[in-house]
Amino acid sequence: MYRQISVDNVAHAVNGRVVYRGDFEHIKGVVASGLMSDVLVTEDEGILLVSNLATQQVVRTADMVGAHAILITNAKALSDDMLELAEELSITLMSTDMSMFETCYTLGKLMYER
Amino acid sequence: MIRAFPIGTDKATTAVMEIILRLKIKDAMTTDLKTAKKEDSLRYIQQMMKNNYVTGVPIVDDEKIVGIVTVNHIMNALDKGYIHEPAEKYMGRALVVLEDDMPLSFAITYFNKYSYHRFPVINKEQRLVGILTSRDILTTLLQELNSEMEELEGKIELKLAAERGCTLNVITRDYAVNKYDFENAGRASFELKKILKERKISQKIIRRASVASYELEINLVIHSDGGHLLFTVDDNKIVIESRDIGPGIADVSVVLEEGYSTANEWIRSMGFGAGMGLANTRRVSDHFDITSEVGKGTTVISVIHLEDGDEDITIG
Repeated sequence: MYRQISVDNVAHAVNGRVVYRGDFEHIKGVVASGLMSDVLVTEDEGILLVSNLATQQVVRTADMVGAHAILITNAKALSDDMLELAEELSITLMSTDMSMFETCYTLGKLMYER
Repeated sequence: MIRAFPIGTDKATTAVMEIILRLKIKDAMTTDLKTAKKEDSLRYIQQMMKNNYVTGVPIVDDEKIVGIVTVNHIMNALDKGYIHEPAEKYMGRALVVLEDDMPLSFAITYFNKYSYHRFPVINKEQRLVGILTSRDILTTLLQELNSEMEELEGKIELKLAAERGCTLNVITRDYAVNKYDFENAGRASFELKKILKERKISQKIIRRASVASYELEINLVIHSDGGHLLFTVDDNKIVIESRDIGPGIADVSVVLEEGYSTANEWIRSMGFGAGMGLANTRRVSDHFDITSEVGKGTTVISVIHLEDGDEDITIG
């Protein structure tokens, strides 16, 4: 299907920032949702969790499904709590000003093309 | 009027009586003694009280107690102007002492009988070895009750584990989960994940257990009036149990349908309440059970087996 890409490639493509760098350097897939319930149903592994929701529970959810990184869209402000939890759980946390749609379109091109 | 310690009445349970009979006065008394000699001035003793935060100083002669000076004696001395005189003439001589080998229950009856705040404690050789205050008794009893409770809780946990068929190398945990406490939601599940990681359980199993636990934990936060998340792990399986104190579910079959939810807008804005939780928990479980009664509460049990290579996920 699609290939592994690095966290830095993701950040560069979406013109984003790596707020915290965790254990993993690569992601194997993407799950994008504002609904954590949907994320918990997926069976993909080593994912990048893309969400337009900026809460601690996004980080918790990412941890529960063993996600490798989180990307928060729509220029949502990341709270200190969220950052602290990402550090505690050692999950890479990124943010971008792009909308959810733009982010997904960009990541899709990055992952499926070439 | 000071209330008496409930002892020797029908208010004292056998368990408590057993503790205060088993404990000796020497187990509770303070042995770090601040004593003075009968030649010491009351002023000197007053300073001693101030510096050591005590309200009574035993007067000792050749390791034997001959009197006691309390704050009352000091106040009288200040009032009547003999604070610089030696203690001997003014100290309390009507001494009520306890022996260090007596049971604590005996000391408690003394506190009921006399209005003294402290009792000097002597040994068989009549030497002063300690002092006993009601604070000493309180501290000792609390510590003792604590260890008794720990033992009891340990027994309950083992019983619980046995009821769930977990017997080999068992770990049990019990976490309280509060209504609408989104800030802490997920902490219990994180602890479960840690335990499973330490046990070197496969990633696939850890993920299934984490998802089941987290879904149940979020459900407790969103839908219940509060409850507990209990984990029992042994060498064969993981048992996750969610117990809440209400409000209960009228028709359990309806809540198991994907998409059915009673969550409000606020909960949905947090990314939850899509009506997937219980269905998803059942999806990742090898065994799933839910019982509920309106007005009483809901109990959900999710069991995940640990066998190697068990990657099949039971659906429905």
